[in-house]
Formats: sequence, C-alpha cells, structure tokens
Amino acid sequence: MIRIEHLSKDLGEFFLRDITLDIEDGEYFMVLGPTGAGKTILLETIAGIYRADSGRIFLDGQDITDIPPRERNIGMVYQDYTLFPFLTVEENIAFGLKMRKVARSEIKRRVDELANLMGVVHLLHRYPGTLSGGEQQRIAIARALIMEPKVMLLDEPLSALDPQTAERLRQELKNIHSITDTTIIHVTHSFEEAFLLGSRMAIMNKGEIVQVGTPNEVFRKPNSEFVAEFLGVGNLFQGESRIDADSGIASIDVGGINIVSATLKSGSVHVSIRPEDILVSTKQIVSSARNSFKGKIAGIVDAGTILKIAVDVGIDTPFVVAITKRSFDELNLKMGREVYITFKASAVHLF
Amino acid sequence: MMLKKLKHSKIKAITVLSSLFLAIFISVPIICVVTHTTLSALMTSLASEEIQFAIRLSLETAAISTIMCIAISMPAAYALARYDFFGKSVINTILDAPLALPPLVAGVGLLILFGTTSFGKALADAGLVFVFTPYGIVIAQFFVNVPFMLRILRGTFQSINPRYEHVAETLGCTRAQAFWHVTLPMSKNGFLAGSVITWSKGIGEFGAALMLAGATRMKTETLPISVFLNMSCGELDLAIAAATILIIISLMSLFAFERYGGFAQVF
Repeated sequence: MIRIEHLSKDLGEFFLRDITLDIEDGEYFMVLGPTGAGKTILLETIAGIYRADSGRIFLDGQDITDIPPRERNIGMVYQDYTLFPFLTVEENIAFGLKMRKVARSEIKRRVDELANLMGVVHLLHRYPGTLSGGEQQRIAIARALIMEPKVMLLDEPLSALDPQTAERLRQELKNIHSITDTTIIHVTHSFEEAFLLGSRMAIMNKGEIVQVGTPNEVFRKPNSEFVAEFLGVGNLFQGESRIDADSGIASIDVGGINIVSATLKSGSVHVSIRPEDILVSTKQIVSSARNSFKGKIAGIVDAGTILKIAVDVGIDTPFVVAITKRSFDELNLKMGREVYITFKASAVHLF
Repeated sequence: MMLKKLKHSKIKAITVLSSLFLAIFISVPIICVVTHTTLSALMTSLASEEIQFAIRLSLETAAISTIMCIAISMPAAYALARYDFFGKSVINTILDAPLALPPLVAGVGLLILFGTTSFGKALADAGLVFVFTPYGIVIAQFFVNVPFMLRILRGTFQSINPRYEHVAETLGCTRAQAFWHVTLPMSKNGFLAGSVITWSKGIGEFGAALMLAGATRMKTETLPISVFLNMSCGELDLAIAAATILIIISLMSLFAFERYGGFAQVF
C-alpha cells in the first residue's frame, strides 16, 4: 500500500501542496482534476522523478521518499506513450528486464506473455512510429507491466485516443487490473473514466487534494463548490436499461420511474442528465420531449443569475434543475411547490 | 484583370531571374577553379608530397577538433537544454560569440593567450605548444566551430521530451544510463549533422589557424593554407589541386548535412 504524508513540491508552473493520501493494495485509484491541477507531478513525484520538497512517501511501509526511481519498482505510462522510437516493439517491452540483466530466454518468455496479454504479438517486430495510438498505448502498458511493478501510474492513458479505442482500452485496463491485482493510480480529467474504473477517487485542484471517496460518495456529496462545479453532471442515476427495438429507444428503470434515452445501451447503466437540459413548469406541458415527471421542490440553491432547484419525484435522489433567476421569479417557485420536469430523450446520457 | 496578371508575371520574372543569376554567380567561380588546369596536371599535383601532406593534416586536425567539439558540447548542450541555472542566458550569448567574431580576430586572441600569458607558458612548459604547431590548428578549429556543434546538439536535446528519460528511470536506469540508452540514440541525427558541419568547417578553417599556427610549408600546411601559400608564390597547379579537394569535401558535406541534418537549427 502507498501512504503519502504532507507531500509538497514546487516546480514553478506546477506544484503540489500538502498532499496526504492512503491507497490500499490492489486498489484502482483515480485522480481527477482540471488541467494544471498538479496531477502529473503527483504521479512523477510518486515515481521518484522529482524529489519531494517536504513530506514522505511510503510503499508497503518502506520510506521511499529519497530513493531513486529505479529502486522503487513503480511503473509509469504517459498519455503520449513515450515508446522509444529507435527500438522495435519487442525491444521496447524488453527494455526494463534488459536493464535488470535478466537472462535472454527469460526475457523472451516474459515479452511473449505480456504481448499476449495486451494483444500485440503481431506487432513485435514493428517500430512504434508506424503504429496507431491504441497499439502504442498497449505496448507502453506492457513495457511497464513486465517489471511486475508494485504500483502502476497511468497519466491520462486514454486521453489521446479516439472514443472507440479509448473505450476498448478502458475495458482492458479493468481486466488487467483484475488479472494482475496491481495497485493502479490513474490520472484523468474524465469523470466517466473515473466512475467506470475507480474503486476510489481523489479530486485535485491547484496542487491540493480537495476530496477523496468512492465515485458515488464524491458525486453525491461534493464537499465544495469546486467539486460540484467540476463534476458538473448534476443528475446521475443507476438503473436497468432495456432497448425497445420497435421505437429505437432505450428505457431505463431507475427505481420507480422510467427514463427514456436516445443512447442505445442495455443492461446495468449509469444515467446522467445535465441540469440545464431539464425544463421546469407549473403545469404539465405537451411537447415532443419523451420524459415528463411530476414532483415537489425539495431544495433551492441560489447561485447568482442561475438557480439550482431540487425536484423530488418520488425516487431516492431528487432531480437537479438549473433555471435563470428571472424564470424562477416569473414561475413564482418556492419550497414544496408542485412542479413538472420535462427533458428530451436525447438529453439522457447513458454510460 | 489582364493588367494584374501581367504585373504578377512581371514580378515572377524578375524574382526568378534573380535566383537564376545568383545560382550562376555561385557556380561559375567553382567551375573556373576546377577547369583551370588539365586533368593530368591535377593528378600530378595531387600525388605531390606537399598536397598529400596538406590533405592528411587537414583530415586529421579536423577529425580531432570535431571529437573535441562533441566531447565538450554534449554535456554543455544537455545542461543548456534541460536545466535552468543562474547565468544561463549569459552563457548562451558567450557561447554564440565565435559565430559573429571574424576568425582572424579569434586567432589573434588565441595567439596572445597561448603566446604571451603565463597560462600559455605553463602549457608550453608542460609540452603543449600551440603557437606555430599543428596543435594550434586544432585549437583554432575548435574555437571557431564549437558553437555550431553546441547549437545543433542543444536543439536536438531540446526536441526530445524529458519524459523518455523519466520512463527509462522507472524501468531501471540511472540518470546516466537513461541518457546513454535513450537520449543518445534519439539524438543520432543531431550528432551526425553536427559532426559533418563541424568537420567540414574545420577542414576549411583559415583565418584563426593562420594567426595561431602560422603558414609553414610541410608543417602547419592544411589545405586552405596550401592554397594561400601556393597562390602567393605562383604555384598555380598546386593551389588548384588543394582548392579542388576543398570543393569536393564541401559539396559532400553539404549533401550529408541536407540529408541528415535538415531539421537542426544552426542559426
């Protein structure tokens, strides 16, 4: 397990301030934050590329704050792959074991094993420059995994990939994690990624960790305006989705009500609707929107020109709706008032 | 519309003609040198002891000064590319100075340093005599050409993302091993380009070498010095033989530089 205590590092443009974190063995830990939050330098300081200005880092109880990267046994994968362009795929994957002076036959065996796991066997004799982003990232992961690291650090590994490739690789990361049981710290700016992969997550801003918890906890109870704003999704539910072949839409049961979505995905899904995509009215309105529910105003948060109101429609979590101050006044809304909320099937995002 | 087109083509004609004129102006003198003597006279001169000596001395001094340029520039360029330190911009400016300095002036400076100061005398007492010796040629070439090597290598190192070294360190390398196994192979083209330009400029170095090492026949007689000496005393065939070799070497290095070093920023 990794224990980080009061870690600080100042690199001028990027910095870390008093970071304290505990990450359990075998955990898939996500670090989420906007650009410039210090996520990459947190990983690089854990890896030992930068020496901490103050604070300690422990790995399995051993203080590793002052030992060089090569003695830490921590693997690193960057967003831009950083494969060595002058080596073949095979030589890239073998690089670390060669540095460790492992016997040739053993290297060969391990490279084959990892190439199999990552599905890159057919690429072993190619050079990285000729490969697609997805292929390069698999090789970068294999190159780190072959060292059997105690911890794998992934710095936005999916951000440079197209959506389909990213989704496939995301699934594989999940598999690799369950197969190898390696502790993974994965940095991202995508909430969806954090939600799908992470057992726990930390939100970072301006070099500090502002909240730690399971994705659900952080999402349900953001502890600051920054976290709420950054996650920004507003409405998130879990449910069972069924695709209606005739009408070409998905219908999701989220514990009491049925939400209709234009995203076709079946099975257990997450449902998200942005607060500004929901319409609120005092009378039921007839429109082309497929989702309409009756509820009561259960909360009002004044955030300047935009207000957020919570509407209880009889399920566990209320809907959050964003409306302008002017509409709020015109509709004469107040706590406990009965209202209708309406939103289109295309505003319902499934993942 | 017609007028516009005419105007446009006029501009085109003038600019194209200028470039053509330039190309002719540059190639004609070169052709003049090469065609001034007969082939047999050229061959005889090339076989002469004096030209053979000049060729060997030029190749050797240029090779040694190039190796010295690499040895010093590699760590210096790495520091200037990777680290921030006090006085970095001043050092960068000073290291570029020889590019702007007339080589003759550089030679005078070197002559005073090695010929008159106690530092120079101490070196001479230790057996390192630079004044009027082939060692002087090497030092003169090094002084004048090291900025080229430094600039090319600095640009090369800057273009390599330090993350490659970071990854190598997590894969079991020390800092030095990461440089050796990753950065160095990735800088191959920069080293090639730097070596070609430094070496070929070393072969052609005249002014600084003349001041420091002098022009002594069969002692400090490199190819350019040989051209100078033989022109001065009317040995036209020998001068042209040396000049022809210089032309061949520069064309070859130009080709190699275009091929391997097109990316490198020299100025």
